[in-house]
Amino acid sequence: MTVKIEVIAGGIPHDQLMIAGLVGSLVCIYLTYLNVVTSSLWFVVFGGLGAVCALIWGSNTIKVLCSYGIGTGVPSAGMLALGSGVIAMLLATRFGLWAPIVAVVLAAVIGAILGFLANNVLMMKIPVMIRSITEMAVIGALSLMGFSAMATGSFDFTGLSTTQGGFLGILNVGYANSFMGITIIAVVFFLAAIAIQHPFNATLGPSWKQDRMLWLAAECGFLSMIAVAVMSFAFLSFEAASVSLAISIILWAYTYSQYITLSKRDAAFWLDSKPIREPEGH
Amino acid sequence: MSVTPKPAGGVGMDWMSMGIGILIMIAIIGAVYIWFPPASGLMGFLDPSNIFMALIAIIVGGALIGIGVHFVPVGGAPAAMGQAPGIATGVAMLAGGAGLAGLFGGAWAAAIEPDPGIWVVCMAGAVGGALMMAITCMFVNVIYVYAMGIPAASGKAKVDPITGDTQTEYKSQGTEGHGLPFISFVGGVVGGFLGGLGGTLIYYVLLEWVYVDRLLSDALGAPAVANVTPIAVSLAGMFAIGLFLVNAVLAAYNITGTIEGPHDPKFARWPRAVVATAVASAVCGIVAIGIVAV
Repeated sequence: MTVKIEVIAGGIPHDQLMIAGLVGSLVCIYLTYLNVVTSSLWFVVFGGLGAVCALIWGSNTIKVLCSYGIGTGVPSAGMLALGSGVIAMLLATRFGLWAPIVAVVLAAVIGAILGFLANNVLMMKIPVMIRSITEMAVIGALSLMGFSAMATGSFDFTGLSTTQGGFLGILNVGYANSFMGITIIAVVFFLAAIAIQHPFNATLGPSWKQDRMLWLAAECGFLSMIAVAVMSFAFLSFEAASVSLAISIILWAYTYSQYITLSKRDAAFWLDSKPIREPEGH
Repeated sequence: MSVTPKPAGGVGMDWMSMGIGILIMIAIIGAVYIWFPPASGLMGFLDPSNIFMALIAIIVGGALIGIGVHFVPVGGAPAAMGQAPGIATGVAMLAGGAGLAGLFGGAWAAAIEPDPGIWVVCMAGAVGGALMMAITCMFVNVIYVYAMGIPAASGKAKVDPITGDTQTEYKSQGTEGHGLPFISFVGGVVGGFLGGLGGTLIYYVLLEWVYVDRLLSDALGAPAVANVTPIAVSLAGMFAIGLFLVNAVLAAYNITGTIEGPHDPKFARWPRAVVATAVASAVCGIVAIGIVAV
């Protein structure tokens, strides 16, 4: 028997955010397929945008789940999301063009079973537990797939695990220097995990406002996008990676300024502090 | 706004749900038995490097992680203020730290040529996790005793079950105990040992019994097994990290917050966690194995 400790008041309803996040994320991840259609690499940035859509949705799901007080800290929910998401995402990449859809379905199945285990076998008895953990697994899988597509231009297992093309003019198909081969996916895993668990953890409390949390979620997502864009220089052409890096930095700067504006709005008092001047001649 | 800060975490067992969970696990084990039938005869069945036995090992590894988390003394935010015993962070972070440290130790041992065998690799992982927790527990106590100036005293036991030291005289009024008593230290090391053992077992069987054994190179159409070794290591590592975090968080949900160690009354909930983590490992394990077959 648990009691809700924080009231969700105002803001966008969770169902609308869920539909927007799911559809937006899937559409953006599929837009990276334009790389194959046009045989270019200009569209990789859509993978990152898809991941950010999923992360914004995820921050609100964490809010819904953790407002019941799960007792283990907010980050544990993010770790469960990414832990189950990476398992679903890796198998789904084997399905070629169907990968994002398979990732959603597979992650939902895994998440539903984990939610059942947590809620019934471990007797957490939280009404939103099964639905939230299902959503979290889907979010984990989609955000990982989006960032992977952004780093490599592909969400297919062959694309993630091989490097084609040449180094110094020697044509070579290699496995060792690929996205999977040097385990860049572990870095992406923790970039997504930090982005999903930070927003609610940083804004919770009596003065919680949904719009401030969602802007912070977008800011964290774009910050992770900058890191993914830097890593994508290893896998993409210089021009394509530069474009995605520039877009990431611009979007991050915009969301960061929005978040600071909202923080000033919600703060009780705001003082721009100056550096402490050392007295001269001491 | 009501004021219940944390769920009590139900006591007892939900036999119906446990039965459903175990049925799911048996169904998955049966599916893998049909999907990848072991070689005929008793010796083929007991041959460790068939995929069916890999799934069993993954389930055992997951259950070991689930038990191990219960040994770790988790204090959470109250411990950071010196109001409760244990290490001042959450279960998921602590188990993740110990388990990943163990996984690194085991992965280092698994990379040795020739293959040192499953026991050496798993023990390397277990010792890595235990060492990580021993260092953590020691420095937690150094900070408590020499920086915060508080003695170690358990709030749940009157007498330390191992050393026999009395605890209640040292406990400050209004707290649930503080510091890290010897029994909690031992619990932390045992928890790190079991967590590292389970995580490394999952990594080793996925790498050596499933991926390296020609299956991944066939699935990828690679010309030789050696070409895909980096992919196999990466896949086994990511699946092991994913499985570890899932099992550690499920065990943390069973504890619901803080636990002092093996003498805590909450420790008696471990059978529920074993069932839950075994089922979760079976579900995630069939997905990890399926990547070579689809």
